Amino acid sequence: MSHVLRSRLRACLATVLMATAAVLFAVALWNGRTAGAVVTGRTGDLLTYPSPLEVLFSPDGGRLYVLCNGSDEVRVLDAATYAVIKNIEVGRVPRGFSLSPDGKRLFVTNSWDDTLSVIDTGTLDVTATWHVGAEPSSVMEDRAGRHLFVANRISNDVAVLNAQTGAEEKRLVAGRGASYMTSSPDGSRLYVTHVYPNLAEHRSVPESEMTVIDTARAVVVDRIPQHGIAGVFHVAISADGRLGAAADLHPKNLVPLAHLEHGGAFEDTLTLFGADVGNKTVEVPLDELERYVARPFGVAISPDKSRMYVTSSGSEIVTVIDVPRLLGYVRTHRAPFVQDLSASANYVVARVAVGRDPRGMAFTHDGRRLLVANRLSDTISVIDTRTNRVASTIEIAGPKQLSVLRYGEQTFYTARYSFQGQIGCANCHIDSTFDGLEWDLEPDGFGRDIVDNRLIEDLKDTDPYKWNGGNPNLPTECGPRTELYFWRSENYDDLTLTDLVTYMRSLKPRPNRWKLPGYELTAAQERGKEIFERKVDKFGAPIPLTNRCSYCHSGPKGTNQKSFDVGTKKATDDYAVMDTPQLRNVALTAPYLHDGSAATLEEIWTVYNPADKHGRTNDLTKDELNDLIEYLRTR
Amino acid sequence: MRVEARALLIALSVVLLLPMCGFAPNPAQQAGADFIVTAAPVYVSLAELRGEERFPKGAHLLLVHEGKAEPLVTGFAASADAQVSFDGTMVLFAGKQAENDPWQIWEVTLKDRSVRKVLTTATDAERPFYLPSGRMIFALRTTRGFKLQSDEDGHPPKFLPMNPSAKPGPLQLSYMRASVFPADVLADGRILFEAGYPLGSGTTPEMYLVYADGSGIESYRCDHGRARWGGVQLASGDTVFTHGASLARFTSPLAREERVAAPQAEYAGAIAETDSGAWLVSARATAGPPYTIRLWKPGAATMETVAAEKGVNLVEPVLVAPRTRPKRHPSALHPWSYANLLALDARLSRDGALRGTPASVRLETQDAEGHAVAMGTAPVEQDGSFFVKVPGDKPIRFALLDAKGTVLRQEHGWFWARSGEQRICVGCHTGPERSAENRVPAVLLRTTTPVDLTSASKTDNARQAHVGGR
Repeated sequence: MSHVLRSRLRACLATVLMATAAVLFAVALWNGRTAGAVVTGRTGDLLTYPSPLEVLFSPDGGRLYVLCNGSDEVRVLDAATYAVIKNIEVGRVPRGFSLSPDGKRLFVTNSWDDTLSVIDTGTLDVTATWHVGAEPSSVMEDRAGRHLFVANRISNDVAVLNAQTGAEEKRLVAGRGASYMTSSPDGSRLYVTHVYPNLAEHRSVPESEMTVIDTARAVVVDRIPQHGIAGVFHVAISADGRLGAAADLHPKNLVPLAHLEHGGAFEDTLTLFGADVGNKTVEVPLDELERYVARPFGVAISPDKSRMYVTSSGSEIVTVIDVPRLLGYVRTHRAPFVQDLSASANYVVARVAVGRDPRGMAFTHDGRRLLVANRLSDTISVIDTRTNRVASTIEIAGPKQLSVLRYGEQTFYTARYSFQGQIGCANCHIDSTFDGLEWDLEPDGFGRDIVDNRLIEDLKDTDPYKWNGGNPNLPTECGPRTELYFWRSENYDDLTLTDLVTYMRSLKPRPNRWKLPGYELTAAQERGKEIFERKVDKFGAPIPLTNRCSYCHSGPKGTNQKSFDVGTKKATDDYAVMDTPQLRNVALTAPYLHDGSAATLEEIWTVYNPADKHGRTNDLTKDELNDLIEYLRTR
Repeated sequence: MRVEARALLIALSVVLLLPMCGFAPNPAQQAGADFIVTAAPVYVSLAELRGEERFPKGAHLLLVHEGKAEPLVTGFAASADAQVSFDGTMVLFAGKQAENDPWQIWEVTLKDRSVRKVLTTATDAERPFYLPSGRMIFALRTTRGFKLQSDEDGHPPKFLPMNPSAKPGPLQLSYMRASVFPADVLADGRILFEAGYPLGSGTTPEMYLVYADGSGIESYRCDHGRARWGGVQLASGDTVFTHGASLARFTSPLAREERVAAPQAEYAGAIAETDSGAWLVSARATAGPPYTIRLWKPGAATMETVAAEKGVNLVEPVLVAPRTRPKRHPSALHPWSYANLLALDARLSRDGALRGTPASVRLETQDAEGHAVAMGTAPVEQDGSFFVKVPGDKPIRFALLDAKGTVLRQEHGWFWARSGEQRICVGCHTGPERSAENRVPAVLLRTTTPVDLTSASKTDNARQAHVGGR
């Protein structure tokens, strides 16, 4: 064959290859565009979106289970075609699920029902519903099939159930906000993480823990401290059991929040543990100098331990980490690493844009695909793990139209409005609740007017806002105030703000766990109610109207929406007069008082009410104060 | 294969084959859009940082359309510094109607080439940039070079900001006895500008950042030492700049600059990024011949000339195309004449460990002649924190002193804090890669009132003295 002919053939071949590649690229682009089609226009209808939160493959890889947090379902899809096999109704607000080791049962935690749904994976029917602790958030069965372990977010414990009967055998005390867990590869240990920090001294560094459970004995064998970390989400362990990683929120709540640059409000980190890092914990940052990985949530380690993937619900990306490089960096550099925003350049190899509020992930059996549940897009991104690109996007069937509430919810969870995308509303209001932290905000002066972060459930019609009552309504609170002092960057347009406020006003209170099923009160609660509503003290002296519990904390939400001086002003406070906070689920929201100085409800009166300005309470006995607190917990 | 797929395959093949057959678009067309350049017989690189004229023999703006250049505006003795509006329909520029006029800010509407004067100033106003919310920034000549200034651009805001960040009228953004010159407005709303390093005293060109209200001044990166200028942010968020003989970039993950493997050439500052990701650069092979505009695809070994004029330098290419509007900075400055600064741990620095334990910090400012004047001292706590009230809108710098008053460390240059600004420093020259440790600084546990260093006569009259240096 002549040289010229060979050259021409090569040229032709190259051309055909290029053309084929171009066609494939165009088709991929086309597919991506249609799959991710955005529906504009916002309806005021109340629509139920599936909101995929977690994904899981069956042991044989044939089925994909999708936990739909919004529609209270598990959707079962064909793992090859993603066609729906069955939608299985479960309890309210399901938050976690896992398969039994033999794959025959799927366990689902229903966080607002305090129940566990047991699904037979053969028939795809719910075969049992078992009661567990308060706000169950994740579940795992041990290898022997003896016990089920259920992490309960509100009761701060792990329930141990008989895996066959569902009978609760005991509770293991965990940290605050016990929510997620993973098992060591041999099944001998469970590692439990917590979304809220443990209670600590006022204005001290947040502390969380990883509770380690021996599954054979069903006992806590270790509590790994996580210093400086306020919220921990998914945790994963490599297949060889030598490396664990948990997704963390590392707040800067003790430093005045004067600006966001240089990780001013939060850092987003991973806690590494296990033999690969010397059996200690090592916290490594995920952020960069000018770009943040807001709210890391899901963690997945590839089967060969070459890569680690982290979803960031606020930044709407998946961060890809080269594990050998990460370990090399950790071993050759001196800790601490967390304050070095340039550290991630040593091990982060890609950041893959996915859908809104990405949460849980699952690998296909061959490890070539990683599925990511995009909760607020109602999609699953399929990432090609060789190219670190989204290969396709699976739509989870639901309403085609975006409602005002849904748009508001997306706005609440995104970090795109803050300076360099560092934070979103959900950073401090985790899962639309609170964070258990006190913050030093800039406008009142550095170190002044420290404020406890309040629960935002059921906040409709509880205006004004801020502890000093300075913001008359939510549009002011979430609009100009947020733009100036939190986002430090251009805020939403007015329409988006309206949607956000509408969403926030729609937030319902989670079920109160201190109320009896029929809403009748226990004897102690009844006695506490009498104290709450009393008009004279134990010595027969009338209690002034404004010093009665029931006056300020009146109405269904426990606030008369007025401000009072209850004697809690500190030397660092500019204001003595404080807005009366609502009492909804007050038992959950420690610490208390405007600055979070009271670690418990009891301390409000035993430590911070010496002059009886915060209600007449100094005439009460310890038991009577306990009764009052028992009643308050039912609010 | 379906008919449609075949047709698509054939069409794509034809498109791909065209360049092989000599039907490639000309290089200028490859830029993907029209672009504007400043044409000048003489271009003095970095003259602006010396307060001198960049175009001593005049300049005029050329609009390059499909490889052909034509004047952007007529009726001007000189024009330069084009900046295209976010919607791609208008161009801000510096112009002189008569040769002896000062440079003034003008705007031309591309559709009909109508021109309006945006601002009248007594001295040169150059290098304008659009800001969101109907404002702009530019360099205004003073007796000590240029300063950064903000003003209205004459357009009503396209949307109603919930909290207008700037009052109407002029707003001075830089407060330094040195020439500073804007380079770009970043996507996050901060202004990238050039000045000498150390700021306020040095001459090595360096890049700095400041918010649109003049607060938050800081070095872009702290790997100082190499002269760098002409910074422009790309769509990726990277900022590309020149050292003159090479290009480099800042990326979000790295605390140091990263080399750009561009062909060896002498570059003249700012580049422009095309939609395809290629760059328009102003370059010449060696010193001597004029700069031409070349198209370079990152990674390619060579560049193609897309615009050249005999004997004339073509610099500062700007694409005529819509672009993403930067974010508006909501100014949270307080209505004060001073600023509060909190250092979390003054012992921390990229410069290494201190030789002793800091006991106090001395604030210095400059008097009218540029002499350094001590404004007093404040204690440094055991954890390295200090909290001070400093004069707003003045050059300031700190020196750490030991218990005997010996200077342990002195800031390299000067900076300013805007009146009403409250700011936190992680350390003393720790670099932007260093984030704060989450703890209550000891000084705030002792007091929440900053030490007042706003008036030398009030705080440290006896020790007030010129402390040397200008």
